[in-house]
Amino acid sequence: MSLDAFKNRNIGSQNYVPVNIENYPTSGWDKFKQVVKRGVGKELFVGLWVVLREMLKFKIHTVQYPSEVLPIGPRYRAVHKLLRLLESGNERCIGCGLCEKICVADCIRMDTRVDENSRKEVVEYSINLGRCIFCGYCAEVCPELAIVHGSRYENVSEQRAHFVLKDDMLTPIDFLKQQKEFSGFGALSPNADQLVKKTPLAY
Amino acid sequence: MKLKKEIKFFINDREVIAKSGETILNVARREGFYIPTMCYLEKVNPIASCRLCLVDVEGSKGSILSCQTKPTEGIKVRTDSEYLYKHRQNIMKLYDVNHPLECGVCDKSGACELQNKTLEFGINCQDFSIREPHRQIENWGKIQYDPSLCILCERCVSTCNQAIGDDAIELKFGGYGSAIVLKDKTSQTLECSTCGECIAVCPVGALISTDFKYSSNAWELNKVPSVCTHCSAGCEIDYEIKHSSTLNHDAKIYRVTNNFENSSICGAGRFGFNFANVPNDEQNAKNLKNKKFDEVVNAVKKANTIIFNSHITNEEAFILQKLKEKLKLKLVNHEAYNLQKFLGAFSRSSGETLPNGKIEDVENADQIVVVGSRIIVENPQVRYAMTRAYKKNRAFISYMHPVYEPLLNNIVKQHIRYEVGTEEGVVALLSEALIGQVLKFDLDVGYVSGETNVGEEELARIYQIGKKSKKRILIVGSDIIAHEKRENIARFLGVMQKFSNIKILVVPEELNSFGVAKICQLDEKATGKTVGYNITGDYIISALKDIGHFSVPALNQQEGTIIDINHKVKKLNVAVSFNGQSLNDIANEIFDPIDCREYTIDRTRDIFNVDFDSLENIQIDSQEIEIDCTEMPNEISKLPTFDGTLVYNSRTYLEFNPFSAFDKNGKFNYENNLLIGSEQFATAGKIADGDEVEFEILGEKFKRKFKIDKDMRGVIALNPIFDKNLKAYQLSSSYKFQKVKIVKVAK
Repeated sequence: MSLDAFKNRNIGSQNYVPVNIENYPTSGWDKFKQVVKRGVGKELFVGLWVVLREMLKFKIHTVQYPSEVLPIGPRYRAVHKLLRLLESGNERCIGCGLCEKICVADCIRMDTRVDENSRKEVVEYSINLGRCIFCGYCAEVCPELAIVHGSRYENVSEQRAHFVLKDDMLTPIDFLKQQKEFSGFGALSPNADQLVKKTPLAY
Repeated sequence: MKLKKEIKFFINDREVIAKSGETILNVARREGFYIPTMCYLEKVNPIASCRLCLVDVEGSKGSILSCQTKPTEGIKVRTDSEYLYKHRQNIMKLYDVNHPLECGVCDKSGACELQNKTLEFGINCQDFSIREPHRQIENWGKIQYDPSLCILCERCVSTCNQAIGDDAIELKFGGYGSAIVLKDKTSQTLECSTCGECIAVCPVGALISTDFKYSSNAWELNKVPSVCTHCSAGCEIDYEIKHSSTLNHDAKIYRVTNNFENSSICGAGRFGFNFANVPNDEQNAKNLKNKKFDEVVNAVKKANTIIFNSHITNEEAFILQKLKEKLKLKLVNHEAYNLQKFLGAFSRSSGETLPNGKIEDVENADQIVVVGSRIIVENPQVRYAMTRAYKKNRAFISYMHPVYEPLLNNIVKQHIRYEVGTEEGVVALLSEALIGQVLKFDLDVGYVSGETNVGEEELARIYQIGKKSKKRILIVGSDIIAHEKRENIARFLGVMQKFSNIKILVVPEELNSFGVAKICQLDEKATGKTVGYNITGDYIISALKDIGHFSVPALNQQEGTIIDINHKVKKLNVAVSFNGQSLNDIANEIFDPIDCREYTIDRTRDIFNVDFDSLENIQIDSQEIEIDCTEMPNEISKLPTFDGTLVYNSRTYLEFNPFSAFDKNGKFNYENNLLIGSEQFATAGKIADGDEVEFEILGEKFKRKFKIDKDMRGVIALNPIFDKNLKAYQLSSSYKFQKVKIVKVAK
């Protein structure tokens, strides 16, 4: 294929509306006329009237942040959270290291060891927010839905590191009931149950 | 018999040539054809358990196993076809049945051959299953076995049996309930030399190291190729490193791996890697010229003698030699000095500077005689070569040592326990038996045989075997080098090398004894003020953590070269950093500007005329020297007798020196403060199992718990010495059998 198809600028019969833009004034006298027209002509009073009208109606659209917060979509990718299992309260993270591997900014690190029950325990987990690009791969690759993106975008502290050590991200055990299931990237689809293929049992 | 013939045949329509003894798989791999395998290992005989390597041969019914079949002239082999792919898919489905889906936490994940092959053959769902029996995870000390992950490829069993020789595990047959079990059913733990080679060869996560378990994923680790520093073999290993933790960015060694396809390493090398040194608190790395540094420079300047051991690189040895020349001081290294004396006498008798034996010669030999070396811990690589020689050529192995070694029972035909101290007589008798036909020795066989306790029938057997063997090798160890009469023994060995086809392999105690013996001019005795380099002295410069006055980098923290027992130069690389000064920095303060070098490895050029970075494959060749007449061994006048209670200052299977005794957390953790003896020893010494005993060797006091080992024989107890850290080097470089007075400590 040649590039001719792309070079064709004929827009055809689509719903385009040509905008009529006046030419810029060139001489000094024309410029002066334009200023006077816009400054003391009716254009100024149109704007003032719109503001006065809306003020008198008391229909104000401004969100009263921070006392009022808009809801945020599940796919928003803010600072990460580590979730717990809802029934037992155990940490979901099994320390498989897939997030560490997939991270394009190479900003995730974890320390693992054998715990008292000879299971793999994640002792420390950290994300370097200075490098994180919030791409969401870690949440998407996590097989246990343990590392997810939260919706908290207000972060104030002296150091970025204060949000992304394991203790900061992990759901506190007292707040287990308030923990919400993540439904952003990487979450199970609503029909996941129907997609599971079961192993036929011979016995 | 063996036909030295080349066989022409076809693989996938291309003509290929097989050399004698090569299988179809060998040829295919050499020529770049891919045949998948799961159980095949180059270092052992074909196991033929996985059946993935099946290939089609045109005209013949059914498929053949390429790993164990040798080609015949003109056959047409096909390595891939629709049928073979289906067949291999079916095998993989069977391997995957009920395989636990715990890849997320499995140590092997990412380096797992089952994972790779499952993906390769596109097995993405399981069509069938089987009822799973109850399987228990077995904990065998350093090694853990999970039978539910095991795919029964039998690599571990073959390796243990054919490459190592411990023969500690076997396959328990039982259909789907088959598993790997300990051969010794009465024991709960693995009774072996704990080489960990079974962990290395396991294609899945069934056999894993308990130290490493769950500490890191395989793909996070970076490999640093280097050389193991624990014995004279200088095995090639990879240090696998990663940052220490999420908050500590300094590199840490997580494990040691090797090229398990065709080599093996021992447990000391595999598990004893955590010996990286840290600078003393006063050694401020940022400020090179600090008080501590001035102190060490002054100590060296004022010293009359530098004592050191051979646990160092050639470059360090070279610097010490230069220091000797500059400061006119004495250099003392007992083991290397003894080796120099030994090699000197050897060359005057043999006409060659070096003994001609190599580890490969051991592997190909028909007759092997080991004298004066507890080879199983002194150089495991030689022992593995002996195992392979026995398994491949049915070599006749005579093991001559006063201490009985139960683990060598699998391969040794002749255990000869000679009397302690009579090594000179033993070697004389061997010379008589092996080359007595060619050369007449003036030897009173009856007397010597009586004194050494080496029977004349045993010697006759060695003579008989020697007559029909083509490739013979004699391995001599540190007991000979440390022996008082080392020079006369060397003469016997020298004439043996000169007048027969017997090869001589000398196995020194330390890593780089050959290097030190080549580079340094050594003195016999220390005088005046001493500086100890990795050994005790008035002022101690040490690479061992927490010991000594001044810290220098350990051998996994510096670049350098060593010379191994094959006289090959090998390179060490930096695995862990060291923020402090090295011997080179100290020497630069003392040397004239012309001798100063910025880095230690700049001195490689001074030694070998090659830059460190471009150094590869340097072999120190033996040179023929002009001798007027061959120096013949002296007559043996009187052999010493060692009566009373004897101990043998020994290494253990995992602890070869103080550096190998660090645990996974980097703590010096020497577990073996035991005195291990036979029941006979207990009766003779009037002590019982579990008794606390005290004794003294060469001025060093020992407090030990006595333990009876049922497999041991004789009246010599084993005394592992390396809990004494640097002081132990004094004991390991002198004659290891010592007379002691054992005192029972009252409770």
